[in-house]
Amino acid sequence: MTREVSGDRRSFLGWASSIAMASGLVAAYGTLAAFMGRFLYPAHPRAMGWLFVAETGRLAHGESLRYRTPGGATVNITRSGAGETEGDFTALSSTCPHLGCQVHWEGQNNRYFCPCHNGVFDPNGLATAGPPADAHQSLPRYALRVERGLLFIEVPVEQVAVGPGGVIEIAGPPGPGHDPCLYARVTIPPREVQG
Amino acid sequence: MSRVLAWVQERLPVSGADLRELTNEPVPNHLKHWWFALGGTPAYLFVVQIATGILLAVYYQPSPETAYESVRYITEEAAYGWFLRGLHKWAATLMIAAVILHQMRVFFTGAYRKPREINWMVGMCLLICTLMLGFTGYSLVYEQLSYWGATVGANIAGSVPFVGGLMRDMLLGGEVYNQHTLPRFFILHAAVLPVALTLLVGIHIAIIRVQGVSELHFEHEPKSRDEHFNFFPDHLYTELMIGLVLMILLAALATILPATLGAKADPLTTPEVIKPEWFFYVAFRWLKLFSGTVAVLSTGLIVFVMFIWPLIDAWIRKHTRFTEASVWIGMCAVLAIIGLTIWEAVVSH
Repeated sequence: MTREVSGDRRSFLGWASSIAMASGLVAAYGTLAAFMGRFLYPAHPRAMGWLFVAETGRLAHGESLRYRTPGGATVNITRSGAGETEGDFTALSSTCPHLGCQVHWEGQNNRYFCPCHNGVFDPNGLATAGPPADAHQSLPRYALRVERGLLFIEVPVEQVAVGPGGVIEIAGPPGPGHDPCLYARVTIPPREVQG
Repeated sequence: MSRVLAWVQERLPVSGADLRELTNEPVPNHLKHWWFALGGTPAYLFVVQIATGILLAVYYQPSPETAYESVRYITEEAAYGWFLRGLHKWAATLMIAAVILHQMRVFFTGAYRKPREINWMVGMCLLICTLMLGFTGYSLVYEQLSYWGATVGANIAGSVPFVGGLMRDMLLGGEVYNQHTLPRFFILHAAVLPVALTLLVGIHIAIIRVQGVSELHFEHEPKSRDEHFNFFPDHLYTELMIGLVLMILLAALATILPATLGAKADPLTTPEVIKPEWFFYVAFRWLKLFSGTVAVLSTGLIVFVMFIWPLIDAWIRKHTRFTEASVWIGMCAVLAIIGLTIWEAVVSH
């Protein structure tokens, strides 16, 4: 009887130590794997900030400019009205929501076109043909603000920035965006990031 | 000399007979035809890729500011750089073609059937690994098409429901292509994927050694004939001959059609006509036919069906009278792949 109890105890202790060791291994390597995963996963700062774009007077009615955010995204900003409010401007991402290519303005067709998979968007950024239209993916809009004749845009303020945000080019007239075949480019040096 | 050999023999007691026993896998007669020996071709080309890849990595610098310039330096200034880069490019092209042809041979000869289902699945992993090596390698050049190819590829991964965003972010090192992207592609291309491929090749060969090579019989061959020959040296000679022909072919291709360098990547402008490498034409055309999520999910489903095809085929053969359905399904699939590839090749958009 004593021998049986002793055997059971030994067996129990054997199992318990095995489970403890396995748990320790899983915990240790699991923690290491979690650290490695977190190391590889990129930072995602969600902080938004208002950045200066240009004096409103630099864009005539129908003209547009391309703006680059500190995170590297490009935005087409168009002056669609003659007034001095944010409602007279439209800011559309130039990154196709389908697979990330750059759309460009086709003046002759009055549309934005994505050459990767034939995505088509109207001047307001609404998808009208191609895979983006099938998936109801329109060009994302950015919020704008006008203060004392200065135009500001709200963009993610990335910790790891590609470079300072700023105006890349102004082109026009007419129509939203630009048509590189029709209009000469005017390059303006990027401005320093604010706020 | 004999004392040295005795010293080694004492510590590594392996005799010539042991080595012969280790390598002497009986090889079926059909492997005397080179087109049945395509399985060894990608392995040979992989060795070429490792050798040329290590040399190219000596000069390559994986950052947006330096990548293009370093590839230009390799191509235009480094001694024989143009040749080594050409070898690397063409060996990659031939390796992908050889893997696809090998898989087609295995499929149409039914060599994936019991008991070789698991090895077919390992082969599928090898195919995916090879395609990923092609994708990440092309992305490293940092020319316009490779940059936009990488962007599109990462966003395709991003279209996968639930885990797509995580996959894209891990691949790009952010939500969009940024300065952390090229190092990630480089690590994948030069370290992670080659190690994975090496392990998978080891498993693939080990399973072949355990199960033996699948045997094919031809009507014109007399049945009395000895059905096997020795791996060493007979089959090794065949493989060496294939290796020699491949080396001549690679050298000719690298010289006559050297690897070129397009315009440097411009993250602000997607080219009017954008094409991936030829082996992704079919997927690229598929993406134009459907919305992102539908295209990605259907592609995933097709790959999954290919993965478990031995099980599906076994079910069809057991429960229906269409015992050779796989041949017809395979022919339809090959025609569809060729059709979509040609379609993508001949049109701009």
